[in-house]
Formats: sequence, structure tokens, C-alpha cells
Amino acid sequence: MSARSLSRGQRIAIGFVAPVILIALWQWRAGSGNAVIGMAPPSALFNALGEVLRNGTLLADASATLTRTFVGFFIGASLGTAIGIATALFPLLNRIIGPALHALRQVPMIGWLPLIALWFGSGEGAERIVVCVAAFFPAMLNSHAGAAGVERRFLDVGRVYGLDRLQRLRFIQLPAALPLVMTGLTQSLAFAWIGTIGGEILMGANAGLGVTMQQAQMQQRLDIVLVAVATTAALGFGINLILQHLRRTLLRWQPVLP
Amino acid sequence: MSTDPLPRPSVSAGQQNFRGELVISNLSKSFSIGGENRKVLDGINLSVRPGEFVSIVGASGCGKSTLLRLIVGLDDDYQGEIRLDGSRIATTSLDRGIIFQDHRLFPWMTLRQNIELALRNTDVPKAQRARIVERHIALVGLTGFEDAYPHQLSGGMAQRGAIARALVTEPKLLLLDEPLGALDALTRVNVQKELQRIWMAQRSTMVMVTHDVEEALYLGDRVIVMSPHPGRIRRIVEVDLPHPRDRRSSLLHRLKDEILEELTATPNGNGEPAKLLRLPARDVH
Repeated sequence: MSARSLSRGQRIAIGFVAPVILIALWQWRAGSGNAVIGMAPPSALFNALGEVLRNGTLLADASATLTRTFVGFFIGASLGTAIGIATALFPLLNRIIGPALHALRQVPMIGWLPLIALWFGSGEGAERIVVCVAAFFPAMLNSHAGAAGVERRFLDVGRVYGLDRLQRLRFIQLPAALPLVMTGLTQSLAFAWIGTIGGEILMGANAGLGVTMQQAQMQQRLDIVLVAVATTAALGFGINLILQHLRRTLLRWQPVLP
Repeated sequence: MSTDPLPRPSVSAGQQNFRGELVISNLSKSFSIGGENRKVLDGINLSVRPGEFVSIVGASGCGKSTLLRLIVGLDDDYQGEIRLDGSRIATTSLDRGIIFQDHRLFPWMTLRQNIELALRNTDVPKAQRARIVERHIALVGLTGFEDAYPHQLSGGMAQRGAIARALVTEPKLLLLDEPLGALDALTRVNVQKELQRIWMAQRSTMVMVTHDVEEALYLGDRVIVMSPHPGRIRRIVEVDLPHPRDRRSSLLHRLKDEILEELTATPNGNGEPAKLLRLPARDVH
């Protein structure tokens, strides 16, 4: 039976099989006498979840983390997309700033943390800059590739119909680049998410899922750590779903790949 | 027969008098390939009358597609002259349209948007554009597919869409670069018929490149036979049959055999055909 012959409901249900088995195994192992150190049973997790929901820390953490991610993603990915497209359209600009950007891109995201902490301290601003930097490069690289790779045959059509520079950009270059721009945004969001959580754990802040993970670890509250991890997984999954939906809507003109 | 009582359009209506007259004189074109200058077109001389349908056939490498790129204005690096209604061609213009072998509809636009885009920089009043687009979609038999994206159309339908896009600006001169090359035999015959009908209705000048001799003869008032390396005009054959034509006409079949023989003949050293032809129709130039 192929996955394609299933109904939507069946497909969603089947996605829950692996997590449920995992949780059952986990409960069984944690319940038997020789529980691994560093493992809390799932039942303890539900208690912890109830606790952080009641005292409001989960909601505060999640909203702080999401805000950080979105603000950083928005600024970093917008700049990245704009610079990526601009360098594709203006070869001279690419000559001037391209090499520097490609060199900087080689620095792993974690490598930026000490510098940013040194320059901007460890406040909210520094956190957001980390996320911006993380979101910037994937957006820049992909949108550059998209705008630079517009097929000559389409540009020729634009010339035949006398499109001016702006019309060419609007009707040919931008739409042709859109698939790769969207790929860049998807990657940027993933990087922004990693950057947010990583920054929170390593640099600290008032609130945030990463902050709670770090603090709970210090207090040996394994159950709280796991609640934060599970929330991070669920939110990340949700954000990605939204972006995938946006991608499908914007790129509905693309043939569906078999 | 009495003389026309209506006053003839005079010089003031000059557009009617010189609609789509293409004159190519001493045209040569070279490409630099690996530092070496390669001549792809050499000494092309050709006059196309307004409203005429001219087919160009020739083996691959004879520069026929290059010739169309030059005429449409996508490439202005050539020696000699190409004039449309007296003015030298240096860049693209809405006077000239082209249909490529691949349909080149923008995949991100619906059929309607694709055709509307062609009108964007014309002086057709905005209020009339939608109706004109609709009429051209109907002309190529695609009514009902206005909002389809190109990937939702079959190859033949997309090519007909490209034909509608090229016709919507009513160019004086329409160039067709193997427009039906990618179609299956059945669709091809149908689109040929459609092309002929459209051409008879619009009477704009058309120049079509093809490697299908039968198609060249079926549609063309004249067939230009080209030889490769470098591309030269080898012979111009006038097809003296009224339109619409019957595909089974014996004249078309005879001409086809003779042109094919000419195209496949081995040159006898200096590029001349090995065998002189006796063509039943008039030879011009």
C-alpha cells in the first residue's frame, strides 16, 4: 500500500504512530527499576507541563522565543533576500560586496556569539542580532542564485515585448527567482530558530524556551527541560507548516513533481 | 472590371502601403567560437513583400534561427542591412513578433496574463485589452483555458497560446522559428491549418524557419532553401498555388521531392549542388 492511497485523516494519524511508540517505550523503561539517569517518565512530564502552564512561564517563554525568531528572521531574511537579488542584478555590486559576504558566510553561527556578545552585550538586542545573522545568509545565497539564474529565453521574450527594466524585474526576474527565494526563506527560518534557541541557552535572557532549558538544567529539573524541548519541537514544526503552505500558495504555478 | 471608385489610401495612410516589407541586403554574421571567427551567415539578400509568407528550410547549422534573431532585433551585431519598411533594424520593436520553437509562455502566469503582458507597452487602450486577449484566445481555440498555467496545458495547446501571444500585438512582421517542431504529427497538421487560417485573416508578413519541407511548401508563398557552413541562400522557390492549399496537391509533392533532393545532394567541392534542378514552378531571383 502506498502512502498516496491513504485519506488525509489516515495520513495524519499515521504520523502519530512513531511518537506514540516512542513515548510508550520511554514510559516502560523509566518505570522499570533500572531507569537511566537523566530520564524522567512521560507521566512526570505531564505534571511539569501542568505546572509551567499554570504559573505562566511556558506561555511567556514561548512568546519571547517566537518574537525573537520572527523579528530576527524578518530583518535578516529581508536583508538577505534584497542583497541576494541586488547582487544578481548588478554585477558591479556583486564584485564589490560578494567576496566579503562569501568569506563571512564561512563563519559558523556559533562563531558569531562571542563577537556579538562583546559588541552588544547580552541583552535582547544582541539576541536579535544573532538571529538576524543566522537568517541572513541562507536567504542571500538562494535568492542570488534564483535571480542570477533566470533563463535567457525568458528575458528574450521580455525584450521582444519591449519591457523596461522595472517591468522586466516585476514580470520576469522576481517571479522566476521566487522558487529559490522561498527555499532560502525556509532555510533562513530554520537557521533563525536554531539561532534563537542557541542564543538563549548560551547568552541568557529574561525569558525564552532556551533560557528555561538552561535554568532547569542547573536546577536538575529534567522534566522541565523536556517540556521545553517538546514545546520547541512542536512550535518549530508548526512554523514550518505555515511556511510550506505559503510556499505552495505562491508557487501554485509550478508543476507538481511526481 | 471597373476601376475602384473609392479613393485609394494615399501616402498619408502610408502604413497600409508599406506594411511589413522586409529587405535584407548583403547580410553576414559571424560568431567567435573558441577565439576563432566563424561565419554563420554569408551574403544573404532577400526581399519579402508585405503580407507574404516566406518559409526557410535548410539543414541544421545553416543559420536560419540566427537569421530570425537578427530580424527580430535580439542581436544587432551583424554586417549588411536589414530594413523593415525602410528603417534599419537595430533592436526589438513591437512591430515585429516572434514565435519560438519552445512556447516560452512564462510558467508563473496564466494563459491570459501571458497574452496580456504582450499588450502592456502597446498603445491599445486599456479598456479594450481584455476583449482583444479573449478574442485571440478564441482564435487559437483555447477558450476555457484562460486561467490555466502553462504546465496545465499540453504541448500543442501551449504552442497555440504562444501563437496567440505573438499575434495579439498585430505585428507587421511575424517570425516563426520552427514553431511546430516540438509537436506530434497530428497536432502539427492541425496547428498548420490554424496558422494558415490566421495568416489569411491577418495578412501580416510572416517568415517561418522549419526543417519540414512539406510544412514549408504548404504554408509558404516562397520557400528559401539554405545551405550550411556558412549559411547561404541556395535557391528560392516560388510556390504558385492559392491559399488555402490542399496538402495532397501534386505540385506540392513534386516540389517537396526536388527540394529534398537539393538539400541532401552532396556538394561537388565548391558548394554547388551536384545536380541542377528542373523546378516546375517559377524560380525567382
